[in-house]
Amino acid sequence: MALATAHQEAAHAPAHNHLAINRAGLWLFFFSETILFGLLLSARFYLEGIHREELNQALGLLITVILLLSSVTAYTAETAIEHDNKKVASWYLFFTIVLGLIFAGGVAYEWSIAHFHRNEAFGSIFFTMTGIHATHVITGVFMLILVWAQALRGRYSSKNPWAVSAVVMYWHFVDVVWVFYYPALYLTK
Amino acid sequence: MYAVKSVAGAAGLGLIGFYLGLGIVAVLRWLFGYPDAWGGEINIIGGWVLGVFLWLMGIGMWGMWGREWFGLKTYQRNLPGWQRYFTFNTDHKVIGIQYLVTFMVVFFLAGALAMLMRAELAQSGNQFLSNSQYNGTMGLHGILMVAVAVAAVIGGIGNYAVPLMIGAQDMAFPRLNALTFWLVPPVAVGLLATPFLGGIEHGWTAYPPLAVFTNSSQVLFSLSIITFGLTSILGALNFIVTIIYMRAPGLTWGRLPIFVWSMFATSWIALLYTQGFAAALLLILLDRLGFSFFEASTGGDPLLYQHVFWFYSHPAVYIMVLPGFGLALEIIAHFSRKPLFAYKYAVAAFLGILGLSGVVWAHHMFTSGMPNYLHGPFLVATELISIPTGLIFLSALGTIWLGRLWLKPPMLFALAVIFNFACGGVTGIFLADVPTDIHLQDTYFVVAHFHYTIVGGEIFALFAAIYYYFPKMTGRMYSERLAKLHFWWMFIGFNATFFLMHLPGIKGMNRRIADFQSELDPINLAVSLAGFFLGASFLVFIWNMVYSWVRGPVAEANPWQVRTLEWQTTSPPPHENFPAPPVVRGGPYDYGVPGSIHATFPSAPSAGFAGAPAGGGQ
Amino acid sequence: MRKPMQTGLIVAAILAVLTITEYLFATHVEDDLVRFLGITVSALGKAVLIIYYFMHIYRLWRPQEAH
Repeated sequence: MALATAHQEAAHAPAHNHLAINRAGLWLFFFSETILFGLLLSARFYLEGIHREELNQALGLLITVILLLSSVTAYTAETAIEHDNKKVASWYLFFTIVLGLIFAGGVAYEWSIAHFHRNEAFGSIFFTMTGIHATHVITGVFMLILVWAQALRGRYSSKNPWAVSAVVMYWHFVDVVWVFYYPALYLTK
Repeated sequence: MYAVKSVAGAAGLGLIGFYLGLGIVAVLRWLFGYPDAWGGEINIIGGWVLGVFLWLMGIGMWGMWGREWFGLKTYQRNLPGWQRYFTFNTDHKVIGIQYLVTFMVVFFLAGALAMLMRAELAQSGNQFLSNSQYNGTMGLHGILMVAVAVAAVIGGIGNYAVPLMIGAQDMAFPRLNALTFWLVPPVAVGLLATPFLGGIEHGWTAYPPLAVFTNSSQVLFSLSIITFGLTSILGALNFIVTIIYMRAPGLTWGRLPIFVWSMFATSWIALLYTQGFAAALLLILLDRLGFSFFEASTGGDPLLYQHVFWFYSHPAVYIMVLPGFGLALEIIAHFSRKPLFAYKYAVAAFLGILGLSGVVWAHHMFTSGMPNYLHGPFLVATELISIPTGLIFLSALGTIWLGRLWLKPPMLFALAVIFNFACGGVTGIFLADVPTDIHLQDTYFVVAHFHYTIVGGEIFALFAAIYYYFPKMTGRMYSERLAKLHFWWMFIGFNATFFLMHLPGIKGMNRRIADFQSELDPINLAVSLAGFFLGASFLVFIWNMVYSWVRGPVAEANPWQVRTLEWQTTSPPPHENFPAPPVVRGGPYDYGVPGSIHATFPSAPSAGFAGAPAGGGQ
Repeated sequence: MRKPMQTGLIVAAILAVLTITEYLFATHVEDDLVRFLGITVSALGKAVLIIYYFMHIYRLWRPQEAH
């Protein structure tokens, strides 16, 4: 996923621009993804209003907290790389991966105990929204694992933080999506 | 031949990936205890994803990109000559030509399908095609042409010209650029394979419930278009970053050539709205797998599809036509030898259309049964679009006014854009107004209007651009007489076909249907004959292009005596585009303004001034 | 490194508080409008905090890189 690294991308741009260009590209990608997630969110209210089937509230709150916590660990990892603290960065990348996997497991468990089915409207929208989001989480975990493997070999530093920053920003973006999906799916009346 | 081996190898890898994906899904379904592990549509989805991924890796993404994910050294093969066009090449000029040639082939293929449809429609009753064959032909013509309209100008001309026009050496993300092109072959294969699974029955719009119940070619259609949407989004992202960050020193926003402005607005539309088509087709795919978004009996709503779909597909027409406007204004300014009239208003118009494009989609749904209170707002918003469009016309007409017109082939096509789109705009008013739309909805009037705007507005601009940039791209010149013959032939054929097509529409002849009432026989025969006349005009074009590319006389660096940056380098440009980084000193269109200079190349060996000597026609 | 870490922890604490607020609004408030506003404002607050402090959106319009 790392959109670019220095040796080839934009090799002709002024040196200080590399990071800005990569960052702008990543943000545009987020804008585009926002529309996809926003359309699904709108479809949820278009089809069902604020009606909702019964869900496991404790589980919902738990996985929300876990995903928010994983954002904090991801932030710590990025900050550590920017300060050349490679050991801390590797550990916190690892924590983020574990928390992400726990979140995905929580969603899978929620699916297995759901009492509604995909062939009714609420089931359709619930499984689609959580499914698309979980797909992004799994993708994020894969990218985190790739970055973590490189971080363990000490490839990143304050001079070369972009791959870590990019994956961590992606991870935060997935978290922001859940910030809106959680109340839309679990907290309406 | 390395290139041939590489493409064949990647295609083989893609095919293996496809079957592997089918198998993996089948094994997973077997493990989870589903009765029909093999043969479900979900298997095709798994096969598609893995197949496309392995195809990309095989064509060169692994060497240039994938290895980096595992901390390995990347490498690139730089092949000479024509082999460049068959490898994962990151040069924006190579990618532009790849796009352009690919989509011209698709254009002629889809045009041949249109000829087939007109042959069937020349007479009432079924002559050549059964009803379902006609549906398949019509659906394939529609979706292939939509793909051409979305990607030929943006991917072809945009990729080729925008970095040159802004004085950059390449796009901001060259590898991403190559990726967007190499996603296109699987899309083409997927769409062209649909007839083997029964053919597209639902037109290019894929409305449910038909799209949910129809044959399995729908799955290929959806997967192809979702992939194509990804291409569009990533390409748009690349253009926006390139235009913001890669401009030459001194090329301020107020000095940007108007085509670059139009690409900037277009890219934002493509970036933001394309997700709508992908989301709509994703929901269709899910419904085919047993979900219930569009099944009214279990709480779904088929109108949801139309809202999500048109949320993209109306802005899509601006994705198609805005670069066409940009090219027309660009060419009209250069060939009128005058500064572009009302430059700032034209820029404002492009940004205005960008702003309004997202709030007009439901004018496609006036007869769909959506709530009545939505009719008024969408009617007004739709008609508001005519204000920025009018500003673009103002700019074009003001530039032509008292200009010294140089009626070369690109200029002829650019002027035709203005004429054709005016006709398309006038007929659009009838479709934007609810009362007339209720009568005209779903008739050939809509078909004629749509072809006037997109073929007349964009495809004519595409040909203008091809005749404009052909010497730059190939380093050779085409036959001007044949080009002018092509222009008049196409212009007359186009207007005859689509003007006449309004008439059966007003009489209520339904579109998308293989048969019609026999009273309409004479007019339909006339439309068909005019259509064949139009189709034949492209033979001149193909001959002219192919012959000139191989045998044409060598072109000068700046055959049109134009000031913008892409003409201040050799034809074709070197790999790094310019002999030295350009520095921009003034506006691009200041023809006849004493002492004006567009750009200089300060560190070039000869320190030659660009722009000043090119400003001929004072 | 200490200062950004402190920022992270403070943001994390506010996020936790907002999540609990959101949950309590959903479970304990009967009035539809108040509940809707409470949940929406909490969610927006969380999103803004993450986008600003974790994703560093301000770096987009900062001309030069600091690190």
